[in-house]
Amino acid sequence: MAILEIKNVSKFFGGLAANSDVSFDVHEGMIMGLIGPNGAGKTTLFNCITGYYPPSKGEVIFNGRKLNGLDPDKVCMLGMVRTWQKVRPLAKLSVVDNVMVGALARTSSLKVAREMAMEQIKVVRMEHRTNFLAGGLPIGERKKLEVARALATQPKILLLDEVMGGLNPAESEEIIQLILDIKQRGLTQMVIEHDMKAIMRISDRIVVLTSGEKLTEGSPQEVVSNPDVISAYLGEPHA
Amino acid sequence: MNKTILKSAFNILLVVGLLLIPRYVESPYALHMMILLFMSVAQGQSWNILGGYAGQHSVGHAAYFGVGAYTTMMLMHSKGVVPWVGVWAGMAAVVVVALIIGSICFRLRGPYFVLASIAVAEIMRLSAINLTPLTNGAEGILATEIPAFKIGATVVTDFVTKVPFYYIGLFLVLLTLAVTYWVQHSKLGYFFQAIREDQDAAHSLGINIALYKNIGLVISAVLTSLAGSFYGIYVGFVDPPTVLGLDVSVQIMLICIIGGMGTIWGPVLGSLILVPLSEALRSNMVTDLLVKIGMVNADSRIGIFLKENLSHAHVLLYGILVVLVILFMPDGLMGFVKKLAARRNREAV
Ligand SMILES: Nc1ncnc2c1ncn2[C@@H]1O[C@H](COP(=O)(O)OP(=O)(O)OP(=O)(O)O)[C@@H](O)[C@H]1O
Ligand SMILES: [Mg+2]
Repeated sequence: MAILEIKNVSKFFGGLAANSDVSFDVHEGMIMGLIGPNGAGKTTLFNCITGYYPPSKGEVIFNGRKLNGLDPDKVCMLGMVRTWQKVRPLAKLSVVDNVMVGALARTSSLKVAREMAMEQIKVVRMEHRTNFLAGGLPIGERKKLEVARALATQPKILLLDEVMGGLNPAESEEIIQLILDIKQRGLTQMVIEHDMKAIMRISDRIVVLTSGEKLTEGSPQEVVSNPDVISAYLGEPHA
Repeated sequence: MNKTILKSAFNILLVVGLLLIPRYVESPYALHMMILLFMSVAQGQSWNILGGYAGQHSVGHAAYFGVGAYTTMMLMHSKGVVPWVGVWAGMAAVVVVALIIGSICFRLRGPYFVLASIAVAEIMRLSAINLTPLTNGAEGILATEIPAFKIGATVVTDFVTKVPFYYIGLFLVLLTLAVTYWVQHSKLGYFFQAIREDQDAAHSLGINIALYKNIGLVISAVLTSLAGSFYGIYVGFVDPPTVLGLDVSVQIMLICIIGGMGTIWGPVLGSLILVPLSEALRSNMVTDLLVKIGMVNADSRIGIFLKENLSHAHVLLYGILVVLVILFMPDGLMGFVKKLAARRNREAV
């Protein structure tokens, strides 16, 4: 069953179509990869889906419910949460307090929230950082903190925006394992990533965006053997 | 564990000590200074909840201070309503003002709240000047006597000495401290700080930004209004500049900037610095001191200049103080103290 349906979504910034007429479904329990060159409109699509701004056109349907115009906090309460490509730690709060903020979406008790937070800190293997200030963490751990905090809101679907960006191979590998672990627990995920090898390994399906439009969609094998995808990437080299 | 016991023991001793002071200190001036200190701590603590914890910097808290003070005084003066009833009317009035500002500004991104907070305080000040039938205009309202506080037929206090005001002031300090402590140790405090640190992150984690900013504003405004009502009945006089002027707003903010925003002890430290400082300036203590130690001749031109002008120089001095604090202690005195303590701990290990 489709947990998330994206129907003809367009987003204009002045004259620029950052997303135009993008449609696809995300099914329950799967990992949907979202790839495309820099500036293709991947982050913009996440922003439209999670209510950061409403799409200019089209519909986003989550669990059968139309989301258009719903604020991010309402979207989160319905069970959809995202991480930020440019990480957003609550710098002056400790790691556990950061994750507790997420957990407090589901409970009013600090005690319960702390337990929920510790659980997610364990999932991302950051127990040794529990009482560190988030602002002082290295980038790899900031990325993991984003994931733990999002997980603490008890989502049904998790949207990850380049959680491996800027990480070294060992750290990336750890994130890949983390994403696969999360899948094991039955959570649906949508993952933006530039690292082709990684996205091939983890995705059940992949959507390719270029210049705001959906170029193609299919299994990882179908996508990499598609000549259009190859030329889109070779035509526009990226970091 | 030991540390928490020590801490609570210290706090209890402090409160008991403060409760006992009026028994042993008779000097009205000393009590007056303590009352000013209490008022400052209560003001700072109230601002801190919204500004320090939720990161919404109001430059117009005089609006809530002044509306609280005026409401209580107007009701007492024209309708004979006793202050401890008028106080509630003051709180109700500031809730209305706060919700009007909040519901408009907190939907918008950007510095609208800061700007609107200044504007609203100015509107209140101008209204107080011009709504003469209600407020007695620029002359202000003078309360010649405060009705005795009775429970049933027993007179609890008749407000003749400063002692009852001392205890009310102390109560206000404890109240604002307790509210801050409660905020800090509840979901509210987490949401406030998340909004302060990163509004978009907070929003995406399920926090209703506008709602929680409004809650912070209402709590802060109500407590500030209490301090205002207290000021009104203590001084027995309100007029537009002393309770609704921009420098009232700035002073409230400075208590937190200097002491340390978003910490429980910040406003206390800030008040311990600002209240004696402004008193020293007001009473020309600095000039007198310079004369006494022989640095300045009282009858020389410099001496006369200082005597005439230094008491008005508090705004300049505050400015210098703020620049110094922002340059050298961006997290205020409290942040500075914490940093020192952290360094010492690290060295001890
Ligand atoms: N708020 C905005 N205002 C104007 N233009 C924007 C805004 N956000 C994004 N854009 C533009 O929309 C286009 C798509 O940007 P987006 O960030 O969605 O790309 P992306 O696929 O996430 O790229 P990257 O891989 O670099 O993260 C870009 O041309 C960008 O400059
Ligand atoms: Mg992006």
